[in-house]
Amino acid sequence: MDTILKPLNKKKKVSEIFMGTGGVVLIGGVLLFITGNTFIVMIVGAILLFIGLAYFNHVGTIFKSKVLKKHLEETIENCVYDPRKGLDKNEVMRTEFLKRPDRIKTEDYLAGELDGVKFVSSDVVLKERQVTHTSKGTRTRYVTYFHGRVFRFDFNKQFKGAVQVLESYRPKTRRNFEKVSLESIDFNKTYKTYATDAHTAFYILTPHFMESLMTLEKKHPGNLGFSFLESHLHVAIHNRKSSFSIRPFSKLDTSLLKRFDEDLNIIYDIVDDLKLNKDIFKEEE
Amino acid sequence: MEPVWIVLIIVGALGLIVLFWYIATMNGLRQLEVKVNEAESGIDVALTKRFDVLSKMVETVKGYAKHEEETFMNVVKWRNNMPEELTIEQKEEFMQKMDAVQSGINVVVEQYPELKAEKVFSNLQHSITDVEEHLQASRRLYNANVSRLNSRIVTFPVSIVASKIGMNKKEFFEAEVNKRQDVDISF
Repeated sequence: MDTILKPLNKKKKVSEIFMGTGGVVLIGGVLLFITGNTFIVMIVGAILLFIGLAYFNHVGTIFKSKVLKKHLEETIENCVYDPRKGLDKNEVMRTEFLKRPDRIKTEDYLAGELDGVKFVSSDVVLKERQVTHTSKGTRTRYVTYFHGRVFRFDFNKQFKGAVQVLESYRPKTRRNFEKVSLESIDFNKTYKTYATDAHTAFYILTPHFMESLMTLEKKHPGNLGFSFLESHLHVAIHNRKSSFSIRPFSKLDTSLLKRFDEDLNIIYDIVDDLKLNKDIFKEEE
Repeated sequence: MEPVWIVLIIVGALGLIVLFWYIATMNGLRQLEVKVNEAESGIDVALTKRFDVLSKMVETVKGYAKHEEETFMNVVKWRNNMPEELTIEQKEEFMQKMDAVQSGINVVVEQYPELKAEKVFSNLQHSITDVEEHLQASRRLYNANVSRLNSRIVTFPVSIVASKIGMNKKEFFEAEVNKRQDVDISF
């Protein structure tokens, strides 16, 4: 591991020197420009900063494909990890509660099997186009409304229709959903439940399952959404986090992998807490 | 305008508001009642399915479990002597009788592990677990609807409409103590 990490840390340091110098020169350049001097210094600062950022991202990609990939493959059965790939737009829209985006960015595709439960996931950023008309003209900008991770798990309990359990999203589907009130007041306060048929909601959301969803909400801050559809459980967590991003000015070592493992805990928690690995949820051989 | 007319218009408007509220409340209560009835029929379906799967299980284990077969035959006799439409109390009794047969079969299975290995029996065990989960879901849905209806019809002024249309509190479908404990949630 050290044979890979040592040269990577050196490269990272170079990128940080470029970024740091670029930042200082840029600030100085801006000050000079404001006081009526040349703008060349500002341009030089910006170029240095840009080179530093590009190199830092390059180091991040090498770290992901050489160190993190190996680590994930050791941890997760049948692991497929690709830092450049992500879930496609249709897969993300299959949650049926995330709004159709005008721009989508997905990365850090991770698929595999935990305790016999297959899953696919990736980081997702969804943006919508906002157009503002002012006296000076039209201004268009893209606003992020979802930044987090989207998962799809195998859910082998047989059921009819669809059920959504949402913290603050609303269903985005033409299905004929009705709002269902479960018997737990706390659960109804935390999540809103929508189902094509109330019986299916009560069938999937057993008291234990509700309790587990509450535990998940406490353990993983963010805006959670669960969608049960066609033998799959789709989960989206909007926590404004990129799962496997490295930070500037911090060392690349095994403690970083531990931090990533903590981020991965949600997968273990979903499989264990929701008992997706129990017999009743599994397909018969 | 004459003051008498103003008073009459106000009284008329108030009367209309009360009438509309009465109709809306009555419709709301009727819709809730329909939901309760739908949920009750869900219990019927689940009970029938459970009865069917249980009869197949008894058939499979009859070589090993004479006593359970007799108990089940008593349940069949009891059901045949009952009217087609069971009351909630009778449904509870039906469920408890099936629980007794099911517990007996579970004891037999523990005594004869070779039963567990049988493909047909293991499929039936899978089916009965699923059927029981559907039964629990139907029971919880029914009770949730009954709870909503009951709390509405005892609340003033809805209680006036409920008594006018002859709507009474509905019975809950109670599970036996150990099943009820499973349903308790502690967050």
